[in-house]
Amino acid sequence: MHNAFDALVEQLARAMARRSSRRRFIGGVGTLLFGAACVPLLPVARGESPRAVQPDNGADPGDPQSCEYWRHCAIDGYLCSCCGGSVHSCPPGTEPSAVTWVGTCHNPGDGHDYIVSYNDCCGKTECGRCLCNRNEGDKPLYMPFKSNDYNWCAGSQVGIAYHCSTARIVGLAK
Amino acid sequence: MLALAGACLSLQVWAAQPLAPTPPVQANYMLNCMGCHLADGSGAPGKVPSLRDSLLPLALSPAGRAYLVQVPGVAQSPLADEEIAQLLAWMVRNLGARAVPPEFVDFTASEVAGYRKSPLVNVRETRAQLLAAAQRLTP
Repeated sequence: MHNAFDALVEQLARAMARRSSRRRFIGGVGTLLFGAACVPLLPVARGESPRAVQPDNGADPGDPQSCEYWRHCAIDGYLCSCCGGSVHSCPPGTEPSAVTWVGTCHNPGDGHDYIVSYNDCCGKTECGRCLCNRNEGDKPLYMPFKSNDYNWCAGSQVGIAYHCSTARIVGLAK
Repeated sequence: MLALAGACLSLQVWAAQPLAPTPPVQANYMLNCMGCHLADGSGAPGKVPSLRDSLLPLALSPAGRAYLVQVPGVAQSPLADEEIAQLLAWMVRNLGARAVPPEFVDFTASEVAGYRKSPLVNVRETRAQLLAAAQRLTP
């Protein structure tokens, strides 16, 4: 049994050695390196959004699926991180609204205030999971420019159906 | 091939740079205007007017400057007159699609305070009339 297995492996190895060259192998590794390095640069679903950034030193405490997570300080809606998306990306089948509500949240990890854009994800019915309504800095509807009670999907190209909300960092406030 | 992979990796390192503090005037734009007018001022076609082609022509005439202050999003914002003056000048210089000519004069707090007292009722009509007038004056 062992001999037969050894023979089979040897046969396969020799067949592969006849078919392939070292140069081709090195070329393949190079392609793999290049491809892997460039995948994160693809412009997937980032066209409409301001450049999302990370807090200094990677200090980002808390659970993005929790309403208490610091970036959710002024959110009013379902958390996309519970709906198949993430704190800065929409779930499959939805598109981010370009127009959005913008506020600031304090990051307890590094002590800085960050400017956060709450882009709604649109085009599907309500997600229904992780409803979060914290509203720090929110003003009543009679101050429309500082109220977050709007359905921002009204400004989206895919229709008014609201699915969930993201919380993207777009700047570092003082 | 390795050089290309290195270039891609270095681009990622550049993209992951920690964020520099946003200047206060730009932060005021982000917190009070960017939600609708977007980061580059282009707005949403049919819903939010673009600032890119209209800011400069309006900022070059007294009536246009009055409009820029009296438009509800500016006049009713929680910003002080001085902050609005700085913000409008920053917007003209940073969001416009064309180079700013030397005859453009920065806004002042007293100018903003003067215009801000009078409400603007017919926003769309006023904007269209002012832009048409500015276009007639353009050589």
